[in-house]
Amino acid sequence: MKRHLLRIGLLIGQVALAAIFIYAGYAKLREPWLQFAVSLSTFKLLPDSALEPLARFLPWAELALGIAILSGILLRWSALIASLLLTLFFAVLIRSYAMGLQVDCGCFGSGESALGPLRLAEEAAMLALALAVTIAAFRNRSAVRI
Amino acid sequence: MLFGQAAHKPAANFKESGSPTAPITLELYTDYQCPSCRAFYLEVLPQVISQYVATGKVRLVHRDYPLPQHQYSRIATKYANAAGQVGLYDVVANQLFKTQQEWEQNGNVDGEVAKVVPPGGMQKIRDLVKNDAHLDDSVVADQAMASRDGLNQTPTLVVVQNGKRQTISGMVQFNILKQYLDQILAKG
Repeated sequence: MKRHLLRIGLLIGQVALAAIFIYAGYAKLREPWLQFAVSLSTFKLLPDSALEPLARFLPWAELALGIAILSGILLRWSALIASLLLTLFFAVLIRSYAMGLQVDCGCFGSGESALGPLRLAEEAAMLALALAVTIAAFRNRSAVRI
Repeated sequence: MLFGQAAHKPAANFKESGSPTAPITLELYTDYQCPSCRAFYLEVLPQVISQYVATGKVRLVHRDYPLPQHQYSRIATKYANAAGQVGLYDVVANQLFKTQQEWEQNGNVDGEVAKVVPPGGMQKIRDLVKNDAHLDDSVVADQAMASRDGLNQTPTLVVVQNGKRQTISGMVQFNILKQYLDQILAKG
């Protein structure tokens, strides 16, 4: 019974996490890469030369990761990569907030609300979800495949 | 520099510059009281003009988008557009952005504009600001266009190529914008 509940919980979390990554990738890809490059530049972390390659690559990576999570193939590893990515994003947002930077996250395309406690809470919730899916996937070795 | 040099020959429409047959049109939405617009106008736009507008690659259109939270943005817009009607748009728009940090403190837009406009021209501008009921017509039109473009902040660039409009919100650094423009110009 416990194992059954774990599998259901994993399935729900897996779909939710996949949806987040697929939407994040899609939302960026429907805009010109320049828009995401502008968002990335507001974090004041990367040299100009890195902005275009990252603005072009990251949305496809998110989309691919979302599809991988949804399919359940190598779920443990794709969920782990998602957790690491979200940890990195969360750390960057915390840093920007602490520095008082006026950043345009661009996480789900342009036109998002300004960086503040609500935005950080959303990011933390996504990270918690990714960690939960990763832990559940490692515990449940017969990963769910959709 | 389009909006900054007195020597620049005003276009038929004073908010437009560059070749009408340029393959790309950049429509720039700004608010005179917005700090990022100031940075874009003073740091990025001169390079865009010298490398793309002056070379016939880009046609530039300035659009007004005064934000409601900026107390003096509307009056600054009126002065710029009145100046446009007397052939001094570039001079006054440049002055408004350059002295933004002064007039946004006390609303003395008139005083800052008067520093760069000869007395005769200044009187005409004041008359237009005071009496011209149609002075804001272009602003209303720009705001309607902004609504269609889904604008949510300034500065915003709309890149128009082959009839397709792509909106880029936020402060774009010239180096990134250059990479983008060069790519879409190469693709045609």
